[in-house]
Amino acid sequence: MLKITKARNHGILLPELGIGLDYSGSDANHVFVSHGHADHIPWKLRASVYATPPTKKFMHLRGVNYQVNALDFGRSYETKHAKVTFFPAGHILGSAMTLVESDNGNLLYTGDYRTPPSPATEGFELPDVKIHQFITEATFSLPVYKWLSYDQLKLEVTEFAETALEDGHTPVFLAYNLGKAQEIMHMVRELGQPIQIHGAGYKLCSVYEEEGIDLGNYESYDRETCEGKILICPSSAIGNGFASNVRNKRIAYCSGWATMESRRSQLTVDKLIPLSDHLDFFELISLCEQLAPDMTYITHTPNPDVVKHYLDKRNLRSGFLDK
Amino acid sequence: MTIKPTNTFYTLSRIAQTIGETRGSHAKIRICAEYFMQLDNDTDLRLAAQFLGEGAFSDLSDKRTTVGSRTYSTLAAEFCEIDYDMVFKPSKTALGSASETIEKLLNNIPEAQKKWSAHGLLLKEIEDIFEELQSVSSRADKQSILKNAWAKMTPLEVKFFLRIMGRGSLRIGFESKSIISSIAKAFDKKVKDVRYVHMITGSIGKTALLARNDQLEDAQFKLFQPISFMLASPVESRSVEDFQEYLVEEKFDGMRCQIHVKQDKVHIFSRDLNDITHSFPEIVSFFRERDLPEIILDGEICVFRDDTIMPFQHLQKRMGLKKPTKKILAEYPTLLISYDLLFYDGEPVFEHTLIERRQLLTDLSKRHNFPITTQHYIQNKDEIDTYFEQALAHGNEGLMLKHKHSTYEYGQRRKSWLKVKKPGGSIDTIIMYAHAGSGKRGGTYSDFTLGVSVRDDERYEEEFIPIGKAYGGYTDEELKKINNRIKEITAEKYGPTLGLYPDIVIELEFDDIQVNKRTKANYTLRFPRFKAIRWDLSPNDVDTLKDVERLYEEKLNQQRLAQDQNPSFQFG
Repeated sequence: MLKITKARNHGILLPELGIGLDYSGSDANHVFVSHGHADHIPWKLRASVYATPPTKKFMHLRGVNYQVNALDFGRSYETKHAKVTFFPAGHILGSAMTLVESDNGNLLYTGDYRTPPSPATEGFELPDVKIHQFITEATFSLPVYKWLSYDQLKLEVTEFAETALEDGHTPVFLAYNLGKAQEIMHMVRELGQPIQIHGAGYKLCSVYEEEGIDLGNYESYDRETCEGKILICPSSAIGNGFASNVRNKRIAYCSGWATMESRRSQLTVDKLIPLSDHLDFFELISLCEQLAPDMTYITHTPNPDVVKHYLDKRNLRSGFLDK
Repeated sequence: MTIKPTNTFYTLSRIAQTIGETRGSHAKIRICAEYFMQLDNDTDLRLAAQFLGEGAFSDLSDKRTTVGSRTYSTLAAEFCEIDYDMVFKPSKTALGSASETIEKLLNNIPEAQKKWSAHGLLLKEIEDIFEELQSVSSRADKQSILKNAWAKMTPLEVKFFLRIMGRGSLRIGFESKSIISSIAKAFDKKVKDVRYVHMITGSIGKTALLARNDQLEDAQFKLFQPISFMLASPVESRSVEDFQEYLVEEKFDGMRCQIHVKQDKVHIFSRDLNDITHSFPEIVSFFRERDLPEIILDGEICVFRDDTIMPFQHLQKRMGLKKPTKKILAEYPTLLISYDLLFYDGEPVFEHTLIERRQLLTDLSKRHNFPITTQHYIQNKDEIDTYFEQALAHGNEGLMLKHKHSTYEYGQRRKSWLKVKKPGGSIDTIIMYAHAGSGKRGGTYSDFTLGVSVRDDERYEEEFIPIGKAYGGYTDEELKKINNRIKEITAEKYGPTLGLYPDIVIELEFDDIQVNKRTKANYTLRFPRFKAIRWDLSPNDVDTLKDVERLYEEKLNQQRLAQDQNPSFQFG
């Protein structure tokens, strides 16, 4: 078994191997970055950093100015004591699960993941080895979270856009700039309608294009010409003047948290679409069953005890990193 | 939208869900009105309006289903074959709603899915289930009825069944005002007429039937059926220039109530229109002995002893007591001080102006010897200040300004009645949790749970405990600054709520402190709001629970001017 430590906000450290996972501390020689969301990117460079090619591009586009080494999915990097390999995590483009193999056994760190995967990613793939230690995120860690199928969600998204346009309204999707925004563009591209995306998300779209993911007929948001187009922006932008000149618009909030009814009154939106880039509770438990690791560590969750309770009932050993 | 058949509970649930998912009150009203029009049977229309607007039973009925949330929550856990403490409770905490949690669990959990199927229960059958529920008393009996019912419903129906049963809000942004408008729209009547009939009949279901059958005019006002109260707006939020148009009286820190009298029969109703007659036997006998004509009075109940109006905290000892003991009655004697007259001599008088109603009230008070507020005409703002100081010296909350020519605007909060109050005090607190805001504050953290220090308090193990939740009192600029800071001090995230490291100190202003045994602190603040963000203070400067306790004692023991001079109320 490998020793694992986790410090608040600093990510995960395997001290015996000098390996950090989404790690910002000073005790690692090699740091592996799971994906390009800000809370997983090391904010200080104190080691050699490795990421998949799309993640490397996202990091640089989002302001990282230290050197990042590209490591393709399925290609292993060998340190003195360990072999490290990335596997597609299905969360956003470039997102990876990290497999660390050593003489002391192996460890799989999921980062953020989704299975079945988002079609706007490289897919989801588990390593073909018996897993000893499994570190899993559990963002949606309660049985009240269960997603509709991708096809149903896609229908909700496309119908929302289509109906709004037919009624002479401008559809606006509130979605995170990296990942969710592009997944929605990938969904609505078949409508053949022009799309405008918030500037911060726009600059990330080229990476998707380079990886061969079709985002439809899109351009950067322009206040003067946005009316009547399919618009995509983060929730924070809509209160700060985004498309405020367009009188007739309909707004859809796309997030796993849209499951909660209270979100409707918290955000003034026309539709809640529970489209998440994480797996749901039932998918999480069934994945743990399928993998049957020797030990599961539950992290990134407000309710680790609930997950542990379900794993206990299935005779799967588990514990926490945060306590 | 049309969902067939229209008279099932499933259709009502779908309509309710659609109304909840629709933005804009006009659009919501249109959906509800169309639905009402499609219900062609009288019983179905009555039940649909009642379920959407009143609850399991008509407001006129004495029947109540008393099923506690623990009863149906533990049943839900059993139904889903999940652990109540380990799984149900955290799920409910995350969603903030037991009924929504149950809906989702019945939908998601395979063991539960096997146990229910859609039977298309009729509205009438749902009424029968509510009847059956209120006829039993043990938890086991209630659970067994619920279990049978749930087996025949979809999770969506179960959610609304529970909300209707609880007589709470359906949480679809559609309150009784909108239902009144829907009835008017469906049957082509004036909103004003429908609202009046609802007020005098006290039943939404009955109102819907009268509206459809063109019988609104036949509705008769009845005594012992409470009328919605007229409410006051805070004076800060309204600009008053025409002072001479108002009458002024002292605002008591008591319990608002309505009393209906017909010879020996006396009933008292609270602000939320509950019958509280049994709690105040001395008031009942007081009015019984007055030999009054048929009347309805609006006023305030206060504890009155040694010629002095006692603090609200004394009245709290009387509230909720079904049958006060002799000792309690002697220790906390109450008095009802009236300030309005709604019904007199067989007729409602709320369409009369305040001056007219006041004249009738004064005459009655003189003739029958019961207390009414002392009212003054005012000419300028200085006089208001004088009366305000006098009110505070009496231990009262402040003043009421009432427009001389206003009618009694039942159920509404407008500009005709204004309240002038002094803030109760302020304490320095710490922000413990931030909650995602709603409406125009969506996307920012705008609601805050504030705590006081118990660091050196041997009764507690934590450093801070919550004392109140505040939603306002800050500027947009300040809110932005707080939100920026929050990002750096977030310790945990629970869905829309952030747990924060102790850092931001808020000077919190409130109206009053009350004892509340259900909270960790044992005290709650009334109307807490931000007074200032104290960037200059650190968590070490936060006031302690002991400080709160001391403030409470001070307020309780404040000197109060007796009523022998410049009294707040008089007999005629």
